[in-house]
Amino acid sequence: MRTRDEHKEIAIREQAMEMIVNEGFDGLSMQKLAKAANVSPATIYIYYKNREDLLNQLFIEVHKTFSDLALKGFDPEFSLEEGLWLQWKNRLRFIMEYPTYFQFFEQFRNSPLINHKDLNIAEFKENMKLFVMNAIKRGEMSKMEPEIFWSLAYGSFYSLVKFHLQEKSMMGNDFKITDAKMKQVLKMVIKALKP
Amino acid sequence: MNNIFIFKTNIQTEEDQERVSTLLDADNLIDSWSVDKEDIDCVLRIVSDRITAEEIIFLINQVGYNCAELE
Repeated sequence: MRTRDEHKEIAIREQAMEMIVNEGFDGLSMQKLAKAANVSPATIYIYYKNREDLLNQLFIEVHKTFSDLALKGFDPEFSLEEGLWLQWKNRLRFIMEYPTYFQFFEQFRNSPLINHKDLNIAEFKENMKLFVMNAIKRGEMSKMEPEIFWSLAYGSFYSLVKFHLQEKSMMGNDFKITDAKMKQVLKMVIKALKP
Repeated sequence: MNNIFIFKTNIQTEEDQERVSTLLDADNLIDSWSVDKEDIDCVLRIVSDRITAEEIIFLINQVGYNCAELE
């Protein structure tokens, strides 16, 4: 008989996430993970049934961390500009504070290996939807397909982040994301979304 | 709080799993169970508050498979 130990669980989770992001999911085995995390294979199996279960539980944890941070201080009643600004700031914080989580999230958000029905995304989705609906009602933006909204409102932000993470501009110099640059883009995005 | 038991077995194929599943599904002392057939130790994982490791080993041996607690 074995019991759970929260510290061990966290250590295993962090190690697994590192390995998957750096070496990929294909090469990962429970035995390899046990060795790297310095625990016995039996210990890994206390927390996870198999590789797929491990991947799914990691994704659930990453998504929870992301949505908790994204919703911090957020109110769907915020104006479009204020709300989008907070979303960008919160999401940037997630990327900077949890870089491995961010990479993992990007790698698996559309993966068929993830059981999306196990994810508790209702609260996050509901907030984002309400925020957009309020902005439309107030006439701050026109009605559009969610993909078009996302591309403008978040695609622009994530592109800036990628340049920052690659530490390169298009001309080969260092590119750093700053509040001033984000504000500059935000102004243009708000203008583009206007009815 | 549920107890978790971890065993090394030779439950390797789909047919093997089906044979033990008849037994484990019918046992109402077992809350849930799974076998990782991808793993070299074919790890059997059992969640139960009321069963003992010895009883599980006895059950699995009965249908002709190896079963030993994984350290």
